[in-house]
Amino acid sequence: MGVLVLCVALAACSPGDEPSPGAEQGLLRIGMIPDAGATQAAADDKRLLQEMLASRLGRPVEVIVTTNYAATVEALGNGSVDIAYLGGLTFVRAHNAFGAVPLVQRDIDRAFHSAFIARRESGIDGLDDLAGRSMCFGDVNSTSGHLMPRFELDEAGVGETLGPARNTGSHPATAAAVASGACDAGVLDETVWAKLVADGAIDPQEVAVFHTSAPFADYVWAARPGVPAADRESFSRALLELRRGRDDAVLDVLRGDRYVRANAGDYAAVEATARKLKLL
Amino acid sequence: MLGALFSPDLSPAYLAALAGPIAETLALTLAAVSVAVVAGTLLALASALDAWPGRMLTSVGTALRAVPDLTLAVLCVVLFGLGAGAALVALALYYTASAAKAFAGLLAAVPRAPVRALAGTGAGGAVQALWGLLPLAAPQMTAYGTFVFECAFRAAVVVGAVGGGGIGAELVGSLAAFDLPRASTCIIVTVALALLLERGALFVRMHPRAIAALLALGLALAIAWWPRILPGDHGLRAASGLAAPYLPAEQWRALPRLLAETFAMAAGATLLAAVLALPLAFACSRTASAPALRLISRIGAAVLRAMPEAVWALVLVLWLGIGPAVGAAALFLHSLGALVRLFADTIDAAEPTARRAVLRTGAGRATAALYGALPLAAGALGTHAAFRFDWNLRMATVLGLIGAGGIGQELYEAQQLMHYGELSAWLLVTAAMLIGTERAVAALTGAWRKRVGVEPTRDWLTAPPGFEVRTRHRARFSSIHAAAVPSAPSR
Repeated sequence: MGVLVLCVALAACSPGDEPSPGAEQGLLRIGMIPDAGATQAAADDKRLLQEMLASRLGRPVEVIVTTNYAATVEALGNGSVDIAYLGGLTFVRAHNAFGAVPLVQRDIDRAFHSAFIARRESGIDGLDDLAGRSMCFGDVNSTSGHLMPRFELDEAGVGETLGPARNTGSHPATAAAVASGACDAGVLDETVWAKLVADGAIDPQEVAVFHTSAPFADYVWAARPGVPAADRESFSRALLELRRGRDDAVLDVLRGDRYVRANAGDYAAVEATARKLKLL
Repeated sequence: MLGALFSPDLSPAYLAALAGPIAETLALTLAAVSVAVVAGTLLALASALDAWPGRMLTSVGTALRAVPDLTLAVLCVVLFGLGAGAALVALALYYTASAAKAFAGLLAAVPRAPVRALAGTGAGGAVQALWGLLPLAAPQMTAYGTFVFECAFRAAVVVGAVGGGGIGAELVGSLAAFDLPRASTCIIVTVALALLLERGALFVRMHPRAIAALLALGLALAIAWWPRILPGDHGLRAASGLAAPYLPAEQWRALPRLLAETFAMAAGATLLAAVLALPLAFACSRTASAPALRLISRIGAAVLRAMPEAVWALVLVLWLGIGPAVGAAALFLHSLGALVRLFADTIDAAEPTARRAVLRTGAGRATAALYGALPLAAGALGTHAAFRFDWNLRMATVLGLIGAGGIGQELYEAQQLMHYGELSAWLLVTAAMLIGTERAVAALTGAWRKRVGVEPTRDWLTAPPGFEVRTRHRARFSSIHAAAVPSAPSR
């Protein structure tokens, strides 16, 4: 395309002596999908994680929360980040496109669930009640906020009868949209839901879970193939060594208790579902 | 919960945290506009003198202007990675194309005698351009450049949301997360900056020497930020996907509906805005309105147009829920702000004899404007409204970002899902739609001018009816009006 050719041509004329992103000596760039939003507030949250990683890895670490899920995959693909926190679907995308290497995940990510929520007064008590009602999903690339719930709605036979649907871009946005009445129902990551309730951001007397999805494999930390094996291993260890009682602050930011090693093979079901829904 | 929108988070910690993003957005705007002005000038000079790269690059520019700037930013993120660099390239490309087009128009209107004289002395092309062409068009080019700056700032707010940085990312992120106190802080900051820039642009127009300093700073920033193509074959893969446009069968079937949705959004918003803008323009008019009313309505219009359409859409989602209605409402509000100011200045700029005659019959100022100025301005008003429709059609495709439906949403989703073949197909559809409409609008406005029988005072873009700005050198030139901002650089 002309645009791309021109982009390339212009960039080729740029000064060549700048260090390429990611090649800066020692700096490890970590990308994260904005599952909890990409604002200043989210960045504050992630600072704790950045400090923990920097101290355990003994090198400077930069945590970058992108503004949408696809941007994290693009960034990992073109090398602007080294290691990324991805969802199930974004991992499959990155793995298929450029061989992203799975590293670690929380134990709960191996059998993760989506929480379908609605205001109590809405009269929605099950998937069958969703016909004709408006529905909020998370990012279009979210596994727990879009892919698997879509599949479950189709299986339940309500996918076609759903009212207007919107992708809010993140899990907290979905919860807020449902609470405000912008959507009749919504679906999101179960751990984000639990945290929103625990933090008092959502009143469980007003909004409640009316359905929990079947389990599926979700979030995983993955490296681009160019990252040396030793660096991958030290990153994995940093997360595998986190313990409740000792690292509570960081674990709370990550919404987990324990980390385990991850395998690409666990995502076969997610991939098959994504193909069925034409999201891959 | 909407009350939260009226209780901004003004805590010192948050305001301090915003300083970085604000500086980034301003610097990004300056850098992109500096590149655009310099490159646009060179291209325009080359095409004015029939040098070979001018012609070719002008046609590339036409294609480029058909791609929404937001989409351009997304493509640049694919190639250059995240960050200000991608947004910089996108904005620089987009506004270079706009500036080249506008500058070429301005240069074409310049008397050619000096160039012929220089050519007669045997002077080369560069000398002819530098001494024979540039000085004559410089005031209008200055006006256009400052004006592009205001536009680019608004675009930088939106593009930042995708390119990964600046106040735009923070604003869109806060709104998407329903963090209304912080979102409203960002909105206040954005509107205040946009209004300040309008003032600043006027200042620069009157002090052309400031331009050299600004350009130097901007180019330095651009060089520091200009990204390198990232190593690896990721960009190539994206490019090869884009090179093979493809739409699945069900998308082909959906195409008429999607086109209709996009057209309906743009047409509805433009029509309503144009109808409401007319009475409000009288309230804003210097010749028809009372000072207090004028001040209030001018400020109102300025606030309406200071918020980019995409930001309006994100705010309106809170009231209107989901769907094309949100898109149409967002386009309407921004268009209203722009058209009110544009209409008011057009009415004020109408040839005054008839208005004075009506005044002498003892009629009031408003009556005089209605019967003495409006009929004369009708042709220009129609032209402005038609071009606003063209602009809104372009913007309707950007609003896909917030799920407003139509072609834009399909385009955005294809990009998000990294279905490059589909993305490329939707880009082609968008380009065909925009170029086709641009042609149709140009033909229609031509017919309208003939029918109304009144030529608008000057070409609407290069010198719209508006303020006469006095420069230090006492040269008078027609400035490009702030209200024409959104429409002008796209052509």
